[in-house]
Amino acid sequence: MATKILSVDDSRTIRLIVGKAFKPYDCTLVEAGNGEEGLAVAAREKPDLIILDVTMPVMDGVTMLTKLKEDAELKAIPVIMLTAESGRENVLQIARLGVRDYLVKPFKEDQLIEKAGRCVTLVKRAAAPATPVVPAA
Amino acid sequence: MQPPPDISQYKELARRYGLGPTPESVSRLTALVARQDADVDEIVRVIEKDPGLSARLLRVANPHAENEDEYTVGTVEAALLRNGIGCALLLAMGTPLSLALIKTFKTMLSLDLEAVDTHQLDSLTGPHMRGSIGFAGKVTGHVYLRMSLASAKTVAAGILGITPEEVGGNDEVSDVIGELSNIMTGNFKSNLCDAGLDCKLQPPKVGLSENFSTPIEPGGGIERLAFRAGAIHIFVEVTANPWND
Repeated sequence: MATKILSVDDSRTIRLIVGKAFKPYDCTLVEAGNGEEGLAVAAREKPDLIILDVTMPVMDGVTMLTKLKEDAELKAIPVIMLTAESGRENVLQIARLGVRDYLVKPFKEDQLIEKAGRCVTLVKRAAAPATPVVPAA
Repeated sequence: MQPPPDISQYKELARRYGLGPTPESVSRLTALVARQDADVDEIVRVIEKDPGLSARLLRVANPHAENEDEYTVGTVEAALLRNGIGCALLLAMGTPLSLALIKTFKTMLSLDLEAVDTHQLDSLTGPHMRGSIGFAGKVTGHVYLRMSLASAKTVAAGILGITPEEVGGNDEVSDVIGELSNIMTGNFKSNLCDAGLDCKLQPPKVGLSENFSTPIEPGGGIERLAFRAGAIHIFVEVTANPWND
């Protein structure tokens, strides 16, 4: 079964980059544009991993992470923070909430894959055949 | 002497998460901005360790000089006395911003962005993209990121891993410029917070501009930066009141 990844970021650009990073792997990507949507999608989809931004409108990533860890059904889902904010206080606060890993923007796709691979099993998609397979008559 | 518990804990987390250390020049300069009681000798010593900042300060102190031979203010100390400490602190804020933008381009576009004097690039004429983010707290100001529509499209394509022809409309370009502004200013804000200047970022605003005149914070000033990577020309302005008064 495909690994389900939830990307929560108000930037469509970042969600696209995250999607591109996981494209070679057998993963299903679900998305949310803020923490409130992220909680709803997490409850509905039960992802295997959440990639979470900090600064977002409506509900920020720290509030979402706090609520996620208070929810008995969701608290075991590993979370990787993906944010431009790497200030000492931010990192300490987020670590105390129980984040699995932390990646600072700007980032390379392979850095994200390396960190995700420590949280969930990532299986490369089978390469597409060079020529179309024609069903036997 | 043992570091405070938070510092030790942070160092351990930074090691575990693979967070890179803040460049020494950035720590030194943001610490200087955060200090309100540094004397002139101390500020001179810190600025003189940074050749780029020293050169910018001297240039500002000699506004009518065409080149260094025409400088009438020739030392960092004389430039500080002429322009005031606030001006030097504002210029010091440009260093972390520059490094954050250069790192972003290197990491996400594999492009070497070169910091240049603003007068080395032609001013942006006609409609162009402008991203801006405000920061407010113990220090208040705005960061502006501006580039031509063609540059913005090239940058968007590079970040999204597609060709410029495949980039959708201005919404897609705007989102990329907003995120670039967010990454650059987020890194900058982290440096300010670590130096004791706690502040929060406002959401990025992106739009088309024409004949834009950068608004300056009350009692503050502006630092203008310019960058080039081939045909991509980028202008960054930071406006702030370093003393937030």
